[in-house]
This record gives sequence, C-alpha cells and structure tokens, in this order.
Amino acid sequence: MITTNNLTKMYGDFTALNNFTLTIGQGAIYCLLGANGAGKTTTINLLLNFISPTSGTASINGLDVVKNPIKTKAFLTYIPENLMLYSSLTAVENLDYFSGIAGKKLTVSSLKGFLEEAGLQTDAFDKRIGAFSKGMRQKVGIAIALAKDTKVLLLDEPTSGLDPKASNEFGLLLQKLKEKGVATLMATHDLFRAKEVATHIGIMKDGTLRQQFVANDISLSKLEKEYLNTMDYKELVL
Amino acid sequence: MFSYNFKYELKLLFRSRWIQLLSLILLLLFGFSTFNGKQKVEKRKSVIAMAHDEVRENDTKMLKLLDSLQRGMEVSASPWTLPTRPMAVGNYYPRVAAMEPQPMAFVSTGQADLFTHFVKPTATANDFAMNFTEMTSPVQLLFGSFDLAFVIVYLLPLLIIAFSYNVLSAEKESGTLRLLAAQPISIPNWVLQKLGLRFFWMAVLVIVALTIVLLIMGIDILAEGKLYLVLLAMVLGYMLFWFVLAFLVNLWIGSSAKNAVAMLGLWVLFVLMVPSVLNQLGNTIYPMPSRTLMINEMRELKAEVTKKQDEILDNYLRDHPEYAINDTTQKRSFWHRYMASQHLIKRELEPVVNTYEEQLKKQQRLVGRLKWVSPALTMQESLNKLAGTSTSDYESFRAQVVTFAETWREHFMPFLYNNQEFSSQDYSNLPKFQLTQQSFSPAVAFWPLLLISLGLLSLGLLLSKKGHQKFNLISS
Amino acid sequence: MTTRTFIKESKEMMRDGRIRIAFIIVILLLGAAVWISMRQYQNVNARYEAAKAAEREVWDNQGKKNPHSAAHYGTYAFKPKYPLSLVDQGVDKYTGTSIFLEAHNRNEAQFSAAADQTGLARFGDLTPDFVLLFMIPLLIILLGYNSFTKEREMGTLTLLKSQGISYWKWIWGKWTALFLPILLITSVLFLVASIVLSNLQDFGVFKWESLFALFAIYIVYYIIISNLVLLISAKAKKSGISLVISLCVWIIACLAAPKVASNFAEDRYPFPTRQEFAASVLKDKKAGLDGHNPWSKESKLLEKKVLEEYGVDSLHQLPFNFDGYRMQKGEEHEAEIYLKHYNHLKDQYIQQSKVYRNLAFLSPYLPTRFLSMAVAQTDYATHWDFADAAEDYRIATQKFLNNNFAQNSEYGNWSYQADAAFYKQLPNFEYDPPELNVILNRNSSNLMVMGVWLLGSFGLLFFIPKNL
Repeated sequence: MITTNNLTKMYGDFTALNNFTLTIGQGAIYCLLGANGAGKTTTINLLLNFISPTSGTASINGLDVVKNPIKTKAFLTYIPENLMLYSSLTAVENLDYFSGIAGKKLTVSSLKGFLEEAGLQTDAFDKRIGAFSKGMRQKVGIAIALAKDTKVLLLDEPTSGLDPKASNEFGLLLQKLKEKGVATLMATHDLFRAKEVATHIGIMKDGTLRQQFVANDISLSKLEKEYLNTMDYKELVL
Repeated sequence: MFSYNFKYELKLLFRSRWIQLLSLILLLLFGFSTFNGKQKVEKRKSVIAMAHDEVRENDTKMLKLLDSLQRGMEVSASPWTLPTRPMAVGNYYPRVAAMEPQPMAFVSTGQADLFTHFVKPTATANDFAMNFTEMTSPVQLLFGSFDLAFVIVYLLPLLIIAFSYNVLSAEKESGTLRLLAAQPISIPNWVLQKLGLRFFWMAVLVIVALTIVLLIMGIDILAEGKLYLVLLAMVLGYMLFWFVLAFLVNLWIGSSAKNAVAMLGLWVLFVLMVPSVLNQLGNTIYPMPSRTLMINEMRELKAEVTKKQDEILDNYLRDHPEYAINDTTQKRSFWHRYMASQHLIKRELEPVVNTYEEQLKKQQRLVGRLKWVSPALTMQESLNKLAGTSTSDYESFRAQVVTFAETWREHFMPFLYNNQEFSSQDYSNLPKFQLTQQSFSPAVAFWPLLLISLGLLSLGLLLSKKGHQKFNLISS
Repeated sequence: MTTRTFIKESKEMMRDGRIRIAFIIVILLLGAAVWISMRQYQNVNARYEAAKAAEREVWDNQGKKNPHSAAHYGTYAFKPKYPLSLVDQGVDKYTGTSIFLEAHNRNEAQFSAAADQTGLARFGDLTPDFVLLFMIPLLIILLGYNSFTKEREMGTLTLLKSQGISYWKWIWGKWTALFLPILLITSVLFLVASIVLSNLQDFGVFKWESLFALFAIYIVYYIIISNLVLLISAKAKKSGISLVISLCVWIIACLAAPKVASNFAEDRYPFPTRQEFAASVLKDKKAGLDGHNPWSKESKLLEKKVLEEYGVDSLHQLPFNFDGYRMQKGEEHEAEIYLKHYNHLKDQYIQQSKVYRNLAFLSPYLPTRFLSMAVAQTDYATHWDFADAAEDYRIATQKFLNNNFAQNSEYGNWSYQADAAFYKQLPNFEYDPPELNVILNRNSSNLMVMGVWLLGSFGLLFFIPKNL
C-alpha cells in the first residue's frame, strides 16, 4: 500500500510537488500522467526517500519513508526509466545479487523460476546483461520484484522506448503482479498503455494532481481530451 | 548483504580484469624494485668484504715485517713505514669500521646512496674532516632509487586511488545506483563493504606478490619472519589509510572525475607537499650553520696552533704525565708535536662541530613529532628504519666511528710518548670496531597508522549518519 | 571558429571552481618557492663571500714559512651559488661546496647540503623547479583531460559534426585555450624571477639570455605535455579514463622514468666507492715518483737524468734546490694520476648521461630536467667544471710554491723559509661558469630529444580527427 498525505517538495521558490495526497491499495495500478516537470518523478523520488519532503508524509505499507528509510525499501521494487544492471554479470547473477542484498537467499533454480515467470527467454538466463535490450532488463527488474515478494512497485516511464510488442508484454506482467496484490505506481506519458493497465489514472500539472479517474469509467479518447484540456492545449486549426 | 557483496565483488573484479591487471603490475613493480634493492645490498656487502680482506692481507704483511725486524733482519721499506713505529701502525694499518647491511636493507635505499658504509680511520685522521659521504653521481641522488620503499610509499597509493576512486560514482554514472538505493540497505554501509572487500583483495594480492617476489629473489623471509611480518603490517596499515581516504572521498564528492582529482590532490599533498614543507620548516627553525664558515674557523685555529707547537706539546704532556713515565730518552719528534696539536684542535673545535650534529638531531626530533601529518612520511621513515638506512642509523654509525677513531688514536699514544716500539705481541691488543645497531621498535609505525585510519573512518561514518547524505541520485 | 572555440573553452575553465582553486594553489606554491629560493641564495652567497675573504686572509697572513709547509697547509676553493638557481636548484644540494687544495692530493668537494639534512630532504624541496617540472604538468592535465571527452559525453560532438566545422580550427581553439593559461602562469613566474634577479647585488653573473633560454625550455615542455593531454583526451572514450591515462603518463614520465634511469645508469656504469677510488689512486701513486722520498727508484732515475742534463756530478752543483725540483716533479706525476682516475670517473658520468638520454623517449621530463639544470648552472657538468678549475688552480699553486722553494734555496736546505709577502703574490682562484652557448652546445643531444618530442607530439595531434 502506498500513501501520501499533503506531500510537498519545494526547491527554493519553485514548487515541484504541491499538497499531493494519494492512496494506492493492494492490487491497484495507479498511472500518473503529466508533462515533463509535472512532478511525477518527484513523487517517486519522495516515496524512495531519494529526496526529503518539504512537508507532508509518504508511507509504504503504513511505514513512514523518512523515518524508516531502510525498512520501507524491503517492501518495494523500483524500476527506473532506464533500468541499469551490472553489465558484466549474467541475468541470474544480477537477480541473485539484488535479491540477496535485499535479504532473500534463493537457490539458482528458484532464481531461474522468477526469471521465467517474468518472461525472460531461457537462453538469456546465463548471458551477461551487457547485451540486453531495455525490455529484457525490465523483465529482470520484474523478476527482482517477484523474488523480493514485493508489496509495492514504483515504475518511472517503464514503456518509453519499448516497441509495441515489448510494451504489451510489460502490461501483461503488471497484470500478473496486480493479481498477487501488489500496489503499483506508474509514471508515464503513454496514455494508451495507462488506459490498458491502470485501475486508476491521475493527471498532474505544475506539481498538483489536477484530475483523477477510475480507468474503467473513461474511454481512451475521453482521457486524451481531458489530458489536453488540463494542459491548456489549443487544438491547431488546419 | 555482506556475503553477496563478497561473492559478487570478486566476480566483478575478475571480469573487469582488475585482479589480473593488479597482480601483474604488483609483481612487476615489486620484482624490479626488489631486484634493485638486492643488487645494492650485495654491492655493499662485497665492498665491505673486500675491505676486510685487504686489512687481513696487510696485517699478514705487517706481522711478517715485525717478525723479521724483531729477529734483526734487514727489510726493504722506507724507515718511517716500518710497523715497529707506533704511528706507522696507526696510520698505515688501520682497521675497517664498517656498517654491514641489515637483513631488510633491500627494502629501502634511504640514505645508503649518500653515505659510505665503511671507513678506515687512521691515527692522524682528523675526526671532523672524515668524509662519510659516498662518491655517487649527484644526478642519481637527485632522482633517487626505484626501490621497494618507493613502490610502497609513492606508487601503491596511486594504485589504490585507481582501484577505488569511483566505487560509488561509477554506480551512479552507469545508473545502477538508483536500483541499489531502492534496496533495503544503507549506502554508506554498502560503500564501506565494497571498499573493505577491495582492501581485502588488494591486501591479499600485495602479500602474495611480495612473498613470491622475495622467494624468487632468494631472500630468506622465514629467517627474518618477524621483520617480514612487520613490513607486511606496515604496508597494510598504510594501505588502510588510503582506502579510508577513498571511502571518505567516495561518500562526499560527486562524479568520478572529481573524485579522481580530489584523491590525487590528497596524494600530492601527503606524498609531495607535506614532506618538502616540513623539510623547509626544519631548516628554517633549526638552520644548519655554514660549513664554509666552520672551515674558516678550523683554518685559523690550525694556523695559530702550528705557530706554537712546542708550547702545546709541553702543555699536553703536563696534562698527560702518564704518557711519558716509562721513557728515559725524552726524545721528541714531529709526531709528538703533531699529535699534541691535533688533540688541541680537536678539543677547541668540538663545540663548533657538535652544533651540526645537534642541529641535525633537533631537525630530526621536529620531523619525528610532525611526521604524523603525512602517513607517506611516516611510512618512508619507518621503512628506512626497518632497512637500517635512516638518517639516524648513519648518524649513529658516524658517532661510533668517531669514538672508535679516538680509541684507535689513544691506543698508540702511550707507545708514542714513551718512545716504545710496536711489536708482534701488541698485535692482538689492537682495538677492533664493533657496531651496535640501533634498536628498532616495529610497532611504532603500524599502530599510529591504524589509529589515524580508524579515526578518519569513524569520523566519516559519524558525519555520513548525521548529514543524511542523499548522494545526488536525482542529477545523475 | 578558432576564436569562438577558444572563448567558449576559456569561459568553461574560468567557471569551474576546481580549476580556479588549482590555479590559486599553483600560484601560491610558486610564490613561496621563489621566496624560499631567494632567501637561500642570498644566505649562501653572503657566507660564500665571507668564507672566501677569510680564507684568503688566512693564506696571506701565514707568515714566514717553508713553501712546502704552506703547500701542505693548503687553501680552499669555495663554490658560489649562481643566480639562476633561483629558478632551478638542480643537483646543488647533492654536490659539495668546498674543495681543499693541498700538496699531493686532489680532494673531492666536501659538505653537501643533503648530508647535513634529515631523510626528508630526499622527498624533494619546495623550489620553483619542483613546481615547474611536476606541478604545472599536473595543472595542464587537470585543465585539459576532458577537453574532447566532455563533448563526447554531453553529446555536443555529434551536434558539432553536423555543423560541418573545420576540425583543425576547432582543435587549434582547444589547444590555445589549454595552453594560454599555462603560458600566462609561466610568464608571470619568469617575470617575477627577472625582477628579483635584476635586484641582486652580483647582477653581473646573471645573463638575460640564460633566463630566456630557461623560459623557452619550459614552454616547449608544456607544449609537449599539452599535446599529449589533448591527444589522450581525443582517444579516450570517457573523461575518467582520459584522466587516469594522463595521470599514468605523468607518473611514468616524472616519477618512475628518472628513477628507473638512475638504476640502469648505476647498474651499467657504476661509480667506484670512495675507498676503492682512493685505493686505486694510492696504488698508482706508489708506483711512481714521490716528492718526499729521495730513496725510491724513481727518485734516483730523476736524479741521474737531471745531473746528465746539467752536466754536473752532484746535486749540490745544480743551480736550484733539487728537493724543490723533485717535489714539483712528484706533484706533476701525482696530478697526472689524478687526471687519469678522474677522467675514468668522468667517462662513467658521460656514459650515465647517455643512459638518461636514451631513456628520454619514455619521458619528456628527462631532457627538460637536464637542460634546465644546465642552463641554470646547477647541473653536474658545471660541478665538474668547477672541480676541474679548482684542480688546475691547485696544480698552478703547487708549481708556484715549489718553484720558489727550488729557486731560492740550495739542495738539502729544508729550513728555508719564504717571506711572508711572497704568499700574497699567489693569484686568486677565479672561476667563471660556462657561457650559455657552450652549455647549449654541450647539451645539443638533449635539445634534439626535446625537438623530437615537440614535433612528434604535434604530429600525433594530426591523428585526433580520426578518433572523433
């Protein structure tokens, strides 16, 4: 479960995030939409305690992230926009290392099981990460989430730069995690993918959450219209 | 976390070929420097052995001559060189006062290229003019020797810097840090473990490489087991210091390039700047009086003394009545007057000459107190001490030789002033030089280095806890 | 294009806090170094003047005595410090400063400063040559290591390429931006040095052209280093790698190569130990004429020869004192022996110098170091020159004294004493160090090596466009 309460981040006079309040329960996928600089990544960084809030609180599974910076990370998995792993280690080794330092001691067969579950092709298990595509690295990231038995998933632009097939695969993986009761926060520009995978959708602008929808209640074209309206977009008249 | 770091750090180091490269570099550096050091020690040993052989040869000749003379035979040598004359023995058959290399002398050249390792003081030798410097090309003295101490003090820290400057920043630059920081671990702790492991592996490589090199070079490390362990402990203490610095720089400074510049700046500071500034400080606070002015003083005294030699001899004999009691002839020759004058000159000049040794001792004390400012300096000094090539080793040798020269001279005075001939019975009574080595307490260098390192480390950990470092994850 | 690149690079450098700090540190170091060297120069030379005057006074006032006693009493030759030691101290610290000139023996220069200092002295001193030779190259590395790599890392390289720029003008702009601050700092140092030098009392010894030569040597050195740093920056994929490679080059060139060279030189062309040297001289001396020993075989031979030459049958009938004559002949013989042994030593030294020159392909530091010392008159060659001049003076002095003895007394009269005034007639010891053109001639091979480095490193810059 992800909870934020009046979360605010200021950089001098500039407000990066303004009174952001949100709850994402188990099995929910919340997609944050918004232009660059709207505050999506700031929200994720605050939840990871990579930056400290100016005011307000954020908690993971009911634990405050500022007060319990290490404990809260045991519950979450973070997949940054460009997930980087140790290029000279294989997929299995990377998974072993990251789940290992997170406190999960696993056998090679169970590690391979998680990679398989995350959809990585079997012949890539013992190959070095250096040659992996972004989609393949993300699958390893999902495998880390599975291995950690994660409760919370934080995703920053996971589908940017993925081809439609890889993007679709990724969506299916999120569904799988959702069924395990994982609470997911996903920042994205990809309206289509958001509509596909999300249970809830929020639109941000200038650090403020402007609109929220339940995904099933809104069509893709309506979502696009609302998004453009929020951005004060004037349609070009051709 | 530790067991995973342990397992994967080694894998990563192997796959990035760091371990292989480092082993090769260490073997080469240790090999070349030990080879140089050993060559120097061997040359030193052979030169001293040759000097001893020469003395033995001359002694045999002298005993033969004495034997012939005592049996009243005619010999074909200039009368003043005959060994029945005590001053001839004192001047033409001197003993070797040598400074044999210590077992670990190959470690550091220290002052060994500057000073000579044996002198043969004669009875008329002027203690102050005795030349203890070696005939080395000054260019060589300027450049110094590529010895093990150079590798350890100068190059090892650079290897450590190259090995550790970007432990954290490389993760940031390659993007893995975001994933790491999202794990339930403390980043300072993680950096500490990584560096600790690198320290461990480098220590293993250093110990193994050094041991292999020494065994190949035929240096019996088992026989000198204790000293060898002391050497290893000092090296590890010194390495620890640089790893701790790397830890602090990794935590506080941002990018790899900045880290490298900062580490290098520290290297320049500790290895190049602090020693030269301290040297300058020592020379300014305790300046050496001018040697040229000392020469002037000595010359004036000498000129004065030669003018009143007879008077001086009378005074001298009045002070030393024991020298002439058994002599009935009371014959006085050149040597009688000369030795009495020398005695006077020596006594008069002693305070002037002593100022040099005293100033040097004061400078040394100052350095001893301040050397902790730079671990490089501490290390060099301790390695020199271990090798027996430090300034104080040579200082002690000089002092002992001067004492021996005195003993040697005094040994012939009763012969001279009693006008007594030297005979083969007196041969076995000739004084011999025996060097007492300075005692070296090995713990001196290791514990303070360890203390400095641990102090810095705990300071770093404390500040990193208080400061809530965020490691600039956002702007990578 | 060139100007614009230059302005952009300079702006970037000036805005970088690290570079500002490094610059300030280097300037402070230089200031301290010049000040320390100046004080040292003044101290040493004041003492030198005092000692020289006092020694001459002692000699002049030795009173009536036998000339050979005076020869044994001897005199001293003192080595002064030359003005350009303000810039480069060279090997001054390791060479003796005074030579005792006496009958029968050639003595080595005694009392080097290093022997009177603690082991710290071996780390090096805070002198201008330390900053010039070690620190400024480090500064060049700091300024230039990311010159090209940063363009690559920020992606501006692709942008620049798409603009269709002239590589040469661009590289030339970068080169100027890197080199100009260095030129500036070096010029300031030499300007300060020239102001200090022109205020010295014995300004006459100082020559402007030598200072200019030194300046030129260092500028060439920095051009070589700048070229290498830029080349590495263009070749390397990342700034970090470029920095590490540049630093390795610095360590090898400035720290390791000189030491390796010194070990090679000593191994292949060793100097004898002091005792060995003395022993071999003694051996040769024993085989020849000893002025003090009228009974030896050589003395008898000389006697016979001289008697035949003058057509007399007793030494008493000679028009001069044969004792003095023999003394002089003995002296000449001994001088020859010393010449032979010192020539052997000099040979070793020349061979060693060749080893250093051969290893100069590893390190532009080596030829710079040797040229700089030579021009500053603080190198080993100048010391040899001084020692040889002192030996010539010693030989001349012995002749002066022995001739007086031979001419003014008759055979067997050892109690002859020359007038007190006679000693004042001995000329002073004067030594002038070699002129600049002599020095440059002597070091022509070092100049050539530097030239090769200069052209070679510029040539390598041509490969930069291929790596971009």
